[in-house]
Amino acid sequence: MAKTSKYRRIALISGACYGLFYLYTVGDLNFIGPPGWNAYIAEFSFERMFTSRSILMFEAIAVVEAGYLIWLVSPLNLLVAALLSALLAANIHGALFLRFQTQVCTNGRGGLFAGFLPALLAGGACCAPSLILLVGIPALGALSAVVGWLVPLSLVILGLNRLRQNHQGAPSMRITGG
Amino acid sequence: MTLRYSLTLLLLLAAQTAWAQAPLPVGKPLLLEQDPGHYWRASLSGGPGKDGIPSIDNPRFVAADKAGLGTDDIVMGVYLDGHARAYPRKILVWHEIVNDVIGDHNIAVTYCPLTGTGVGFYRGDTAFGVSGRLVNSNVLMYDRATDTYWSQIVAAAVHGPRTGQTLPEVRVIWTTWGRWLTRHPQTEVLSQRTGFARNYRRDPYGTYQPKGGYYTEQSRPIFPTMNESPLFPAKREVFGFRTAMEAVAIDKDVLRSNPVMRFEGKSNDFLILYDEGLDTAWVQGADHGELPDDKALDAVHFTAEGPVADALEGLTPVNGFDAFWFAWYAFYPQTVILDGKNQ
Repeated sequence: MAKTSKYRRIALISGACYGLFYLYTVGDLNFIGPPGWNAYIAEFSFERMFTSRSILMFEAIAVVEAGYLIWLVSPLNLLVAALLSALLAANIHGALFLRFQTQVCTNGRGGLFAGFLPALLAGGACCAPSLILLVGIPALGALSAVVGWLVPLSLVILGLNRLRQNHQGAPSMRITGG
Repeated sequence: MTLRYSLTLLLLLAAQTAWAQAPLPVGKPLLLEQDPGHYWRASLSGGPGKDGIPSIDNPRFVAADKAGLGTDDIVMGVYLDGHARAYPRKILVWHEIVNDVIGDHNIAVTYCPLTGTGVGFYRGDTAFGVSGRLVNSNVLMYDRATDTYWSQIVAAAVHGPRTGQTLPEVRVIWTTWGRWLTRHPQTEVLSQRTGFARNYRRDPYGTYQPKGGYYTEQSRPIFPTMNESPLFPAKREVFGFRTAMEAVAIDKDVLRSNPVMRFEGKSNDFLILYDEGLDTAWVQGADHGELPDDKALDAVHFTAEGPVADALEGLTPVNGFDAFWFAWYAFYPQTVILDGKNQ
């Protein structure tokens, strides 16, 4: 029981870190000085909130500056980050359980790794996805329309991998209780 | 009641049709080395969708002392009808297009970070948006009246009802805030309150002071181009101008060490004057053999309007702008390159 609780803690912390890192890669979270304190709403409208910049990436509607942190607040990006975080946490929990608590001979980490990476490579720049900027190979530029699908791809892979873990006997990850 | 409803509907339809056909000014033809359709077929998605990079349609301006800019920050400056306006690059990198009104003129100030080009256009009654597509890494804009797609560098429509037409240009000067402010102390500056939540302290591609990331001279373009040249590093800054007959590029370093250059073109002779105050060039065209001699140019001085001297009267200004070498060459593989000697 103590071990399951430990797995859950590791999974939750990893999920939360991943969510924050995802928001950083899509440009919603930044750590750039000089430090200051400020908050304002750009121009609130529901239309703006639902305007997508790319597939599953949405417009921010407010800016929060807190110390070195600048947070562009997009409720829908937060929702996507929360979904990715939860799925990643569930995947890690499942992988740890299957690896150490069962006799199932499986490698649950393959789908996990295939799932968490794409979303981190999808965001960042305005005019070209960060993957293309990172790699800097002109031929890959032709793929940038496809790169837009990396976030949904992450969601699907993480979701499917978790279903596979369930099928292999991994328990659901309850936040409360033992 | 039904009659009134029908009339209202008719009026609305008429208004919508009139808006859709709102005049977009047509400029003089400029060099297109390929058929417009060729550029369209070579275009590809840059990642974000149509308007995924939002243009600024209701720009606000602040006084120079509220600009919050550093001396070396890059701005795109426009001087029109006695009004000076500076558009900070760090804002434009997130929006690429500002649909502005200066005096009686509706203009669009456009910037493509991937090709390092800032170009202004008269836009008539319509506005431009960012299509999300690129050709030779250069932004394809679309006009909201006809949904025609326009390439920024060649200033021509490459897809849609206005294919083949050219947009009339407004001079946009790529310079630093310190230089612009010295020339135009009364300038207004585009406010960071654009209506959008963006981190204007961060450039997603790199840095200009010092040059880093995507903007480094030696770094490669990230999208395929129609033509490539190893003559200069890909991101070397050149000043380029073009007419219907030819395109001309000058390495910015060559420009700085040659304050006066002449070029005998196919259709005209050209005088290229380096403006040290703004670190830019002004191009004047004349019929063959009609350019003033060097002595007459001694009186040239640079004002808010540009170069002024009696000797320049009667010459025709030709628009020009800075660009990364790879992008200029991708559109103009037959470009003339001036090396500082009279050609």
